[in-house]
Amino acid sequence: MPRFHFDVHENGRVIPDEDGQELANQNDARKEAVMSGASIARDAFVSGSARQVVVDVREDGAPFLKVSITLEVDET
Amino acid sequence: MATDAIRAALIKRLRTSSGISDEDAGEIEALPIAVRHFPAEKPVVRDGERATDCCLIAEGFCARSKTIPNGKRQILSIHIPGEIPDLMSLFLHVMDHDLSTLTPATLGFISHDTLRSLHRRNPNVAEMFWRDTLVDAAMFREWIVNVGQRPAPARLAHVMVELRERLKLIGQIDGTSFDMPLTQEQIGEALGITAVHANRVIKQLRLEGIVELQRGRVTVLDDRKLLELADFDGRYLHQSPVL
Repeated sequence: MPRFHFDVHENGRVIPDEDGQELANQNDARKEAVMSGASIARDAFVSGSARQVVVDVREDGAPFLKVSITLEVDET
Repeated sequence: MATDAIRAALIKRLRTSSGISDEDAGEIEALPIAVRHFPAEKPVVRDGERATDCCLIAEGFCARSKTIPNGKRQILSIHIPGEIPDLMSLFLHVMDHDLSTLTPATLGFISHDTLRSLHRRNPNVAEMFWRDTLVDAAMFREWIVNVGQRPAPARLAHVMVELRERLKLIGQIDGTSFDMPLTQEQIGEALGITAVHANRVIKQLRLEGIVELQRGRVTVLDDRKLLELADFDGRYLHQSPVL
């Protein structure tokens, strides 16, 4: 099984994923990235610690995909 | 491991939390118990199985969990020496969740028949075990609050402080550090978040100088901050006969 690493960027600050995890395929990795991004964004947006969360996924060391979630609040 | 050592943590815990008498402790010490050694991450009793005995943890850590059809697992509770995590199987005949080891573990199996006859003979012991399952339920209530309402860093802090308070009762903490032998994935499963989010939370708590988790061992760096973050009120653990 391929090994995927999920580095998390919040407002440009990086939390590297040293261990990574083995997942069956790219589809599972995509789901893990979206779920992780959404779940981290929920905490970060509510606490106000960040307005953007990016999950940068590597597959066996090579760039695979980036999930980016941004908070936009329009006050009238 | 000598058979009285199997029961040592249980008796120790019951002395503090329920004020068990020497006579009743003697009854528990006399219970026939079958000792088995389990490797890490092995099922002890599975969802859907019919249990014929209850399992007392003598050494090691276990967890109760439930897995939904898409394969996602929720860890419901972490169990430590001196606890009987499937005590309810005495009355609830078919398991409605899994009990498995987290680490290599020494488990003592007590047959339902033996426990039932002890309960009928000795109502003090029956009440104590009843109380144990009620405390179990109190812990589940707290875990629901934790997963449903607290942000992820507070969830982790809460699980850590709870584990520390329980390990304290059986003398298994070492100054500011104690065992919490869960992988990042398992921490995620206990907190209702992904392994990636769990990694982020662990790193955040270390960066903020609150607590360090490394290779299954927790070291508290700032106790005041940890308690504040965890929003911890230990009453629900009922660790004294007056609580």
